[in-house]
Amino acid sequence: MIGTIALSALGALMIACGIAVVRARDLVHAVFWLAAMLIATAGLFVVLEAPFLAGIQIVLYTGGVITLMLFGVMLTHRDLDAAIPNPVAHELRAGITAAALAGALLLGIWSTDWGAAKPAATVSVAQIGAHLLGPQLLAFELLSVLLLIAMIGAIALARRTDP
Amino acid sequence: MTLLSNPWIHGLVVGTPVLLVFLAASALASWWERKFAGRMQNRLGPTIVGPFGILQPFADALKMMQKEDIVPRAADRALFNLAPVFPLALALAVLAVVPFGGSWAGDEWSSALVVADLDIGVIWVLAVSGLMVFPTWMAGWASSNKYTLLAGMRSVAQGVSYEIPLVLAAMVPVVATGELSLSGIVAWQAEHGWLVFWPPGPGLFAFVIFFMASLAEANRIPFDIPEAESELVAGVLVEYTGLKFGLFMLAEYTHTIAASVIASVLFLGGAHGPMPEIFGPMWLVLKASTLFVIIYWIRWSWYRFRSDQLMDLCWRYLVPITLVLVMITAIMRGFLPGGAS
Repeated sequence: MIGTIALSALGALMIACGIAVVRARDLVHAVFWLAAMLIATAGLFVVLEAPFLAGIQIVLYTGGVITLMLFGVMLTHRDLDAAIPNPVAHELRAGITAAALAGALLLGIWSTDWGAAKPAATVSVAQIGAHLLGPQLLAFELLSVLLLIAMIGAIALARRTDP
Repeated sequence: MTLLSNPWIHGLVVGTPVLLVFLAASALASWWERKFAGRMQNRLGPTIVGPFGILQPFADALKMMQKEDIVPRAADRALFNLAPVFPLALALAVLAVVPFGGSWAGDEWSSALVVADLDIGVIWVLAVSGLMVFPTWMAGWASSNKYTLLAGMRSVAQGVSYEIPLVLAAMVPVVATGELSLSGIVAWQAEHGWLVFWPPGPGLFAFVIFFMASLAEANRIPFDIPEAESELVAGVLVEYTGLKFGLFMLAEYTHTIAASVIASVLFLGGAHGPMPEIFGPMWLVLKASTLFVIIYWIRWSWYRFRSDQLMDLCWRYLVPITLVLVMITAIMRGFLPGGAS
């Protein structure tokens, strides 16, 4: 019961924050609205009894992605007086895309037999770790190699001195 | 007892005193720091208000309430007013997962005095402390002042950089104990010995690096680049007046206290000590206070690093060292008692 209320409240909060992100006239406001939305997503994971996912959500998305965006903002110039046009420029095309996505999701929700679905077992962090380093070891290692390549690439780009 | 097992009621019953105690401790810390700094500089510090000037924090609070609340015309009003709320809230949120005491049998706790004993305590601590740079940046940006903006940029750069050695150093206790909850880590230390001594080597180095990175995250000297009053006036706080300024100052003490508490829990055995378990909170207070004194000792006797020296230290020394430490700990875990699973 409390879970349903919390899920609905968090969902409404996420939608409100999402709308605020696209309607915000100030880039910095949009970034902080996005941060609020990502934290609400973490709340969703908490209600669904996946605290590890919630923690990682905050560390990676709020801590990482938002920081990246702040760096982006800091590198851009702030127009104090210029009226920034509404960023929703392609309303028709955006509307069609959003409607198609919503339709696909709703179709998926309606066509699922929820009565037959078993409640997910609560998975501990230790189980996640054992699974990642056991059956999924190859994928795990490939991902870490990919990240390493990206990191070395970033350093190489940053060190390039040619004009 | 059944009433207390409801997480909401438990959180309220245990959380309220924790909140009040740490707020009071932060206020008291401001008095203590002025007294301490005074003695170090051959002065008396506050003496007028109350015995030994101990009521000075109340006088400060009253003074701040009377100050005019100024919002600069060029400021981003919403973010400017929002920013002072978060530092205190985040610093207090860290304390939610700290076990202040309890009793244990072997390396299992039978009961723990903790607001919320999360399985992912360490991740919670790191996630919340990772968010700390945002209010600082928010304040710096919203003030529309070149000093505050510079300070905000520096604080993000510093916070993001020191986050990495902080996380990696915190991984040493996690790898050594195989626990992600703070109470689990404390229980392991009660059984096998404090992590600063055991495993010999990595624990001690990780503790020192964790302590340094916490100082950087809490913006304390020698890492107080975002404030840097000699070059940036007062950093992101330039435009703030009255109680909003007061909130930032209070949060600084709370943050430093929280950092001391977390370092004591992760590396110094937390509530574990030689006397019966009922004295647990006393040990934690003693350990955290010692670290707190050291932080202010450094603050009043040392200089501030330059911004680029700070980055050098972090990326060229601390990050590689912590990476090696985590690897050594992972190898040693095979030979540790209770390890090799």
